[in-house]
Amino acid sequence: MKGGGLRIYTILYLVFLYAPIVLLPVFAFNDATIISFPLRGFTTRWFAALAELPTLHQALKNSLIIAVSSSVLATVLGVFASRASTRYEFPGKGGLMGLIMLPLVLPEVIVAMSLLMVLLGIGIDLAIWTVILGHTLICTPFAIAILSAAFQSLDRSLEEAAWDLGETRLSTFRLITLPLVMPGIISSLLISFTISLDEFIIAFFLAGSEPTLPVYIYSQLRFPKQIPAIMALGTILVALSVLLLTTAEYFRRRGLKKTGAKDTGGFL
Amino acid sequence: MNTAPQAAAAGIPRPTMIEFRDVNKYYGDYHALRGISATIRAGEFFSLLGPSGCGKTTLLRTIAGFEDISSGAVLIDGKDMAGVPANLRPTNMVFQSYAIFPHLTVAQNVGFGLRRKGGTAAEKARRVTEALAMVGLAGYGERAAHALSGGQRQRVALARALILKPKVLLLDEPLSALDKKMREQMQVELIRLQRQVGITFILVTHDQEEALVMSDRIAVMFEGQIVQLADPETLYRRPTSRQVADFIGVMNFLPAKILTEAVGRIAIEVQGLGRAEIDETQAPGPITGGEISVGCRPETLTILYEGQTASDRETPGTVEEVVYYGDMTYYDVRLDGVDSPVRISMRNVFGRPVLDIGTRTRVAWSAGALVLFR
Repeated sequence: MKGGGLRIYTILYLVFLYAPIVLLPVFAFNDATIISFPLRGFTTRWFAALAELPTLHQALKNSLIIAVSSSVLATVLGVFASRASTRYEFPGKGGLMGLIMLPLVLPEVIVAMSLLMVLLGIGIDLAIWTVILGHTLICTPFAIAILSAAFQSLDRSLEEAAWDLGETRLSTFRLITLPLVMPGIISSLLISFTISLDEFIIAFFLAGSEPTLPVYIYSQLRFPKQIPAIMALGTILVALSVLLLTTAEYFRRRGLKKTGAKDTGGFL
Repeated sequence: MNTAPQAAAAGIPRPTMIEFRDVNKYYGDYHALRGISATIRAGEFFSLLGPSGCGKTTLLRTIAGFEDISSGAVLIDGKDMAGVPANLRPTNMVFQSYAIFPHLTVAQNVGFGLRRKGGTAAEKARRVTEALAMVGLAGYGERAAHALSGGQRQRVALARALILKPKVLLLDEPLSALDKKMREQMQVELIRLQRQVGITFILVTHDQEEALVMSDRIAVMFEGQIVQLADPETLYRRPTSRQVADFIGVMNFLPAKILTEAVGRIAIEVQGLGRAEIDETQAPGPITGGEISVGCRPETLTILYEGQTASDRETPGTVEEVVYYGDMTYYDVRLDGVDSPVRISMRNVFGRPVLDIGTRTRVAWSAGALVLFR
């Protein structure tokens, strides 16, 4: 049958991609300390165990602070950059936007290492805000990618019409521009939040004595009896990530529908 | 075809509403507006007509305040608009894309400009209802704006711009996105609306027929300049250059020579037509020193059937092409002694056969319908 080979390839590819993730909840609910088959029975005690790990709670708190701050910062910077790049022509625009988008393809370990050297070089102590700095750096290109699409699908004459009808530049932005790009802003916030929450390398290099959740998880892998609890934690994180990304995409598509624009591609 | 309001010609002279004083606009090195000087009268339906890239939209946007000018002045109702931003000018615009706010309802769109005006909520709601009724959209207020059809969006855009009772309404190719039937219907409605509200309308269009149908006066623009400003009939019958003659409708051009020029009368020799004497008003354009030619519109030439005689002059020729339009037939006829054929439009009167290609025929013409370009 034609395409049979391709079909097998596709199935194998998907199994390889998702089987490990599917195993997370399987072992999170398995009533045994050792991660191996056969399964021993159903339990929720690993989830209960999560509640009794104060260092985990601290790491979670750090991660949330970092993720919220860097997603807000990245989105605000993204709004400025996207608005400027879609509305105005200025010398060196192409090169400038390229440089801003570069962290998207730069190896994170390079970014993390160079940031660490600079910070230590000028004698700044590592703390939560240094991670926020690093995460803002890597989230901003994503924010710009999403927001540029939102600003581009916005008909320029909408803003002119509001201006023409008596609104100032500022109130036009508030009454027309902002509501119409709001789905893009929400989508940018959610995606930046997810990226920051999951990010390991920069957090590992720059966190100092304040580990984030991924760094904490990595450190716990050395203790075999903690592994089922980590599996439970992983299950929660996967569920949350999927939820966030789906919400982000929902808002992006709703925004397109609202302005009647064509779908020019997104992350999902 | 020409249903343009004739009141302008008949009535008392109207005061000036817009004045362009030597307006120039550069985009970098590109000279987009080249010394525009013109006046638009109050209550007039005025059109800026020209091919794309001629600067007509740029000129319109200088009135609205969306474009700064490089030199010169734009005056609205006697006031210099330099430094006055778009939101403080007594003009409102209907955009080519209509620019309907997609996240608002129809009523919110129409009432948008009232936000900063005084008055109670009830009074504003009443004005919105009135405006919607005026454009034939009564009862559409609560609809979502993005769900409207093209023609309805157009009406919402009109109501939204007119609700503020501007001194000038600017229309940037408002009908170009509509299909032919809808466009013709909206043309008539716009004319009716303009008479009803009495506001100065300035229309930008590249469609010469639209401009002829709707306008009191038309400014024809080429390459950043107004090349002729006149009422539709003058523009059609007495174009001042071959360029304008060619852009507006169809014009046949025949090479010509000037024989003698006396007071008020010019004797010419036209290829194919022979000698003729014309009035000096039939040479409305300036002397350019270029090629001399004579223009005649397709409907001023008539094919003579057997037994018919010309009321004025006639010239023999051969039918080279026949294009049948139902109500009309267009013939390309090569007059004897002429290099290229002339186009002739004939109404398909009952009982008159459509001629075949190759038919020998006689063409009736009149010296009074010729225009001389020199």
